[in-house]
Amino acid sequence: MPTSRRTFAAAAVAALLLPLSACGSSGDDGGSTDASGKVEGDITFQTWNLRANFKDYFEGLIADFEKKHPGTHVKWVDQPGEGYADKISADAAGGTLPDVVNVSPDLVAPLAKAGLALDLDKAAGQYEKEYLQEAWASHRIPGMDGTYAFPWYLNTGPLFYNKSLFEKGGLDPEQPPKTYDEVFDAALKIADKTDGEVATLANVPTIEDFGRYGVPLMDEEGTAFAFNDAKGVELLSRYKELYDAKALDPQALTATPESTGKKFLTGAVAMNPGSALDLANFKKQAPSLYKNIGITDQITSTGHVNMYVMGLMVNSQSQRKPAAVAFAHYVTDAAHQMSFAKQVAVFPSTAGSLDDPYFTKEDGTDETRVRVASAKSLKDAVNYTPVLFSEQMKTELRNEVAKALQGKQSPKEALDNAVKACDRLLQQQG
Amino acid sequence: MASPTLTGPRNTGSTRKSATRRVRRQLPSSPWLFAAPGLLVTGAFILYPFVSTLVNSFTDRRTLVPGEFVGLDNFRELLHDDMFWTGLRNSSLYVLGVVPALVLLPLLLALLVQKNIPGITFFRSAFYTPVVASIVVVGLIWVWLLDERGLVNSVLEMLGAGPVGFLSDQWLILLSAMAVTVWKGLGYYMIIYLAALANVPRELHEAAAVDGAGAVRRFLSVTVPAVRSTMVLVAALSSVAAFKVFSEVYLMAGPAGGPAGEDTTLVMLVQRTGTGLTGRVGYASAISVVVFVVTVALMLLVLRADRKEES
Repeated sequence: MPTSRRTFAAAAVAALLLPLSACGSSGDDGGSTDASGKVEGDITFQTWNLRANFKDYFEGLIADFEKKHPGTHVKWVDQPGEGYADKISADAAGGTLPDVVNVSPDLVAPLAKAGLALDLDKAAGQYEKEYLQEAWASHRIPGMDGTYAFPWYLNTGPLFYNKSLFEKGGLDPEQPPKTYDEVFDAALKIADKTDGEVATLANVPTIEDFGRYGVPLMDEEGTAFAFNDAKGVELLSRYKELYDAKALDPQALTATPESTGKKFLTGAVAMNPGSALDLANFKKQAPSLYKNIGITDQITSTGHVNMYVMGLMVNSQSQRKPAAVAFAHYVTDAAHQMSFAKQVAVFPSTAGSLDDPYFTKEDGTDETRVRVASAKSLKDAVNYTPVLFSEQMKTELRNEVAKALQGKQSPKEALDNAVKACDRLLQQQG
Repeated sequence: MASPTLTGPRNTGSTRKSATRRVRRQLPSSPWLFAAPGLLVTGAFILYPFVSTLVNSFTDRRTLVPGEFVGLDNFRELLHDDMFWTGLRNSSLYVLGVVPALVLLPLLLALLVQKNIPGITFFRSAFYTPVVASIVVVGLIWVWLLDERGLVNSVLEMLGAGPVGFLSDQWLILLSAMAVTVWKGLGYYMIIYLAALANVPRELHEAAAVDGAGAVRRFLSVTVPAVRSTMVLVAALSSVAAFKVFSEVYLMAGPAGGPAGEDTTLVMLVQRTGTGLTGRVGYASAISVVVFVVTVALMLLVLRADRKEES
């Protein structure tokens, strides 16, 4: 009996202390950056919500790679879009991160800081020249040396607008606004003419809106946020004007990209940013809207549109780094990016690919018009989203912006508070 | 209670002695062996996460950074975090709004469907249907209904009441979420009350009726005392569930927790703070500890109120 009690007591103490043991180790052993050696072995490749529509493409791609490099085997796993960051978090914390992972720059930053992303400047620097300079740079982290993912496909969105709502608002549907100031003026006019029935925008300004308005988002060192300057306050003040006039949808404070998309589909708002992917959706789900759809360039006051970048990160802890690097490069090389871009309305990040006739010649359809316009704007596009801007920071900005729109605080106070909160979170990130 | 092995005869031969010793050696471990599967599951999925959360609440652990011991820093930070107080306020309001409704309305519903009349099974099933429906599906349906251009607002507009911002006003969002919680929980608690009502002797009602008691009087003097312990159980269960509300508010207020996050509940705050690659696991654990403490306090409060009532 005493023995069992002692055993039980020891087990209980172990159970209590076990979690404590996790607090000691740093766990950020970056691993070797050497990816030279024979390309062989089993690797795992994780994509972000791509299996449903592109199963055949990826299976063919993997089969070709395995044929090119005998002795390799690629296990493909695809994760749903919802909760993707949480899935990566769980894998990273549990030491089960796949060898090659589909990421966006904001996902790479914490992984690189934790030493889990391979520095490609060291391990695969020879490939840098194959990619657009801006795209390669999008996976660099302020405060760190190196590049932590291969750039993969790019996207940018045109702005869709509802021509019949423009007419209803007394605007020329063939002369859509191009800059933020023009959008604000048009929105106020539509709201005034329709007595607040038709809102033009359905979402509060995001960090990318501040960037495209010409607001500096961070200081040059990338150590502090700076979007609370006079220009930032000016942008938020204009949004407040819109909100008061119902030119910004009253539900904008609680909107999600899905809900704003739905509002545009149902003709509740006049404009909505989108991507080339949306056209097919309009055609299928809202044929009457499709007949009245207007397509214009993404709104920007800087002359540069926003660019969304997808990347492929190589796990620095991978036991098969040569194969992982070779595969990540294989998926993102010019030929394969081009063939993927022909599967779906995305754009290659490889140098020179956007000059392909596929991206420069129109055939009179809306699809090619959007594609050609987007490809053109991507050539000097900017990835405005700061890589260190976490989900928590997005929430802080959104909440402070909402308070300003509700009149609970001035735009200046709101942005000062947002910057303060984001800086605190940035410091905590380490 | 003493086991037979300890009190059994001691001098009945060596074979029996050794058998007794064997049994004595084996018996203490046998119950543990039988309980082992359950204990393992409980340990792995309840005890370990609980202890881990408790330990993490005293560290600055992040998703990918193990963190260091920081003492009570997280709890001190909570005191100065406006969003924590917003969460505590909303979770508490949720308890105050939802629990009385979930204690009373299912009882009335149970009284309605208790009678054995033709077709009553249909109504029982209909009232129970929301319980088995997915909260996400139910939540989305209500979002569509309560949208500015949804069915409810269309009817209100026809009546000249104008569109109501069910999903844009901070208080209306919370009220709408409470309504969904009550609507969804009615059937579940109705079943619990039906079981309790089945045990109420019919004679009590008959005697009260003979004494001239009306329906309301019989409800207050016979039904309520008879199902009082069930009401306490429902109050305890629903208050714990209400304080930990997440899905309904998340669906109706959006991931940001309503305008300026004003509809954030404590569990939403745990999710928002502690998840993702930059999640503050230590701080989120501290909020979880507060949720746990308040939940236990709520249970004790309900039980104490019940004891007081009994005495």
